[in-house]
Amino acid sequence: MNEMVKLQTEEFIPTRYSLLSRLQDWDDQESWKDFFDTYWRLIYAIALKSGLTEAEAQDVVQETVICVAKDIDKFKRDRKFGSFKGWLRNLTRWRIADQLRKRKPNALGEDVLSNGSNHSVDLAEIPDPVDGGLEAVWEAEWQANLMEAALERVKRRVKEEHYQMFDLNVVREWPANKVAQTLEVSVAQVYLAKHRLLALLKKEVRMLERQW
Amino acid sequence: MPKVPDHELIRLIGSGSSGQVWLARNALGFYRAVKIVQEQVFKHRRPFEREFNGILKFEPVSRLHDGLVDILQVGRNEDAGYFYCVMELADDVVTGPNILPATYSPRTLEQDKDRLKRLPVAECVRLGAAIASALGFLHRNGLFHRDIKPSNIIFVNGMPKLADIGLVTDASEGRSLVGTEGFRAPEGSGTVRADIYALGKVLYEISTGKDRNEYPVLPEFRGSQAETADLILLNRIILKACRAKAWQRYQTAEEMMLALLAFQFDKAALRRRGNTELLTKVFALLGVIAAVGVLGGLIWRFIWLLNHK
Repeated sequence: MNEMVKLQTEEFIPTRYSLLSRLQDWDDQESWKDFFDTYWRLIYAIALKSGLTEAEAQDVVQETVICVAKDIDKFKRDRKFGSFKGWLRNLTRWRIADQLRKRKPNALGEDVLSNGSNHSVDLAEIPDPVDGGLEAVWEAEWQANLMEAALERVKRRVKEEHYQMFDLNVVREWPANKVAQTLEVSVAQVYLAKHRLLALLKKEVRMLERQW
Repeated sequence: MPKVPDHELIRLIGSGSSGQVWLARNALGFYRAVKIVQEQVFKHRRPFEREFNGILKFEPVSRLHDGLVDILQVGRNEDAGYFYCVMELADDVVTGPNILPATYSPRTLEQDKDRLKRLPVAECVRLGAAIASALGFLHRNGLFHRDIKPSNIIFVNGMPKLADIGLVTDASEGRSLVGTEGFRAPEGSGTVRADIYALGKVLYEISTGKDRNEYPVLPEFRGSQAETADLILLNRIILKACRAKAWQRYQTAEEMMLALLAFQFDKAALRRRGNTELLTKVFALLGVIAAVGVLGGLIWRFIWLLNHK
């Protein structure tokens, strides 16, 4: 996993408009599916870590995605919302706050609308739902989610045998000769798969970072 | 409650998107499964008629192969808006062929998988060969299953059988997107190779204990070296069945069945076949390179002759 950790710490420059521009098109189901497949786990994990139940976390996922769908146009036009990553984090936080508010109706000072985002609400007034700070947890989950999404993309693009070699050698950190012996292939094939798939993985991570 | 001639409906034992399944008893006291499909659950009439026609086509074929669940009777109640299908009953998940109506729950491969997590490789191979044989028979009769998955494989007197034939169709339907996500081939369902793909994914799930969406990730290797070697050999069969490109998979279910039978009786031959396939590809490539070289040489010679004429 060491090679994969190195990939996570490299700096990427996110830009705003490639996949985001496709998200405006309600008919582009593939892009929306892409968005959902990439981010639902991240939102779900953050919601669970905030102390929500599985059912509540699922609601947070659903409502966050709806908010993105409703406000994506606003986000793209107005740079005050910052990066997409930060905006998505805030939307998630608001939806988590909504769920917590449903449990304890008077716990929050501001009336955060449950059917959309209220951008005038000061996030500082919403108690941080995650122990240790949502921002730090979000960043860690974001990177993990990005890596998982990138791995899924690589898995779909390469020959299955090569992915199996890569999974054993890189993800599970088996020595190359053990992989070769178990899968009844040559060590050279294992190294080739590792080299090729790591390059692909790097490319996918970079592409995902640029898209979002 | 729906009425089925000569059958007493005892208890609802299952329901899905297209219908309900009842535990029933016939006039002779034998237990049966009765599927009732109501027209009202469909948004349009067409899928209702398609399912009915599929069962009509499947019914005469079903009793000719041990790997297909027997359809014993099909009927329709136009006024009440449903059709019914009487089938042989699956073993009980606990008591096997001994049916106790009050507690009956059908044994499916899905339940075996949930209970055992992973089935021994030998068991996977035997089951795979049995279902591949049934599938080949279905295909030879011009039909496709389109929804092969662990919950649609039941056990009758301990023998695995393909069931839930609600989506069975013939070639007239063409490719479609019916079926279950993760078991459905990338190109859709409704072809021989799409059914083979689904069976491959079933074998993946039961031999690794993993979800089909994790494919092709291998499981933790437990057990002996021999068991690991067997799993890797089965993995080769699964990989071939589940190729993303349909033309790269087994061409027929019989071919897959033979590979699984070879597993049981001649593993060395299966290993050699795997290596032979690779060698065949290498030689084919060398042949192409040689042919291009000869052609290139001839063209060069022709041009040289023209220039020196």
